[in-house]
Amino acid sequence: MRVAFVGKGGAGKSAIAGTFARLLARSGRPVLALDSDPMPGLAFSLGLRTSDAAIPEDAVEERAQGETGPRYRLRAGLSGAEAVDRYAREAPDGVRFLQFGKLRGQEPAMMRSQMAFRQIVQDLPEDRWDVVGDLPGGPRQAAFGWAPYARTLLLVVEPMTKSLLTGRRIARLAAGMKSAPAVLAVVNRVREPGDVERVKQATGLEVVGAVPWDEELAEAERRTLAPIDHAPASPAVRAIESLVHELAGESHR
Amino acid sequence: MKVAVVGKGGSGKTTTSAIVARTLGRRGLGVVALDCDTNPNLGISLGIGEVETDRLVSMRENLDEGAEQHAPGWNDLISRFGTDGPDGVRLAVVTRIENPEPG
Ligand SMILES: Nc1ncnc2c1ncn2[C@@H]1O[C@H](COP(=O)(O)OP(=O)(O)O)[C@@H](O)[C@H]1O
Ligand SMILES: [Mg+2]
Repeated sequence: MRVAFVGKGGAGKSAIAGTFARLLARSGRPVLALDSDPMPGLAFSLGLRTSDAAIPEDAVEERAQGETGPRYRLRAGLSGAEAVDRYAREAPDGVRFLQFGKLRGQEPAMMRSQMAFRQIVQDLPEDRWDVVGDLPGGPRQAAFGWAPYARTLLLVVEPMTKSLLTGRRIARLAAGMKSAPAVLAVVNRVREPGDVERVKQATGLEVVGAVPWDEELAEAERRTLAPIDHAPASPAVRAIESLVHELAGESHR
Repeated sequence: MKVAVVGKGGSGKTTTSAIVARTLGRRGLGVVALDCDTNPNLGISLGIGEVETDRLVSMRENLDEGAEQHAPGWNDLISRFGTDGPDGVRLAVVTRIENPEPG
């Protein structure tokens, strides 16, 4: 399975993606979780205390004069899979975690890490890992090729006007993406019976999951705990479990 | 007065901006609300409505398309590409992502 979570900022992408990755790993799959948000959130929902797992400086080289492509690339001879083996952190349940580097003072260091990350995600072997990506809010990264691995974009939408509008924009852009991923909606913060239908109507997308509003998720965040560690039996975590089952049965996802 | 509202995604930047803008507008100030998000939603919070918000033509697209002799000034841009919203707030959208990367 290769999925990337997209949606408006604050929609719940990281909370759901981290929980999703942990549950998928528990079902026995080798899972690689990828955070390409410069304001990273996935580490916490996976249950890692650090939010800094960027690719180290010495794995990255400046491209030589005359070589085409972006300014920085992985050290010569280092494949995407090797880079994951070396630099991905180990998260609970055996999830491997890689992050593209967060916004810090030193711009060049971040650029190095991000360019290397971009190369890694373009160069992942087909079947070694199930991949769960967490993208920043809005349509930008999906549109500009930061999730080339994704066969399915899981669009996290709240039944709210701005979230729905953002969802429609992302779905529209995804239709024109080179990798042409399928787009499925995951409704988050469901509070009332009509919420799922509202998302169906407004986005025209198939809804594969519905996660209820759950105070335990907010509480997990206050305590800096992964939702799955803080409240494994909470309604939201259960709903994400159903989502994993729903998608894991279909090999083409 | 010139203020920029920043913060994490989903923390309430757009909603806060809209309420500040309309409050200032109600006090009689001339207010320009600039949506600098590449996923522009400010129109919704200002009360311009979903359809109109999604249709707002961004300034940059207009500039890219037009063969401008001189870079137009601030006032010119706002009057040409802005939209009037409630409480006299004029909304302009700086940019928007329209198409996926071609290559
Ligand atoms: N279903 C839910 N019920 C309650 N709180 C939620 C729910 N989903 C997400 N949250 C909380 O909302 C906040 C934003 O979620 P986050 O996953 O960081 O959003 P994103 O990654 O999309 O920007 C977090 O504090 C998260 O715990
Ligand atoms: Mg996030």
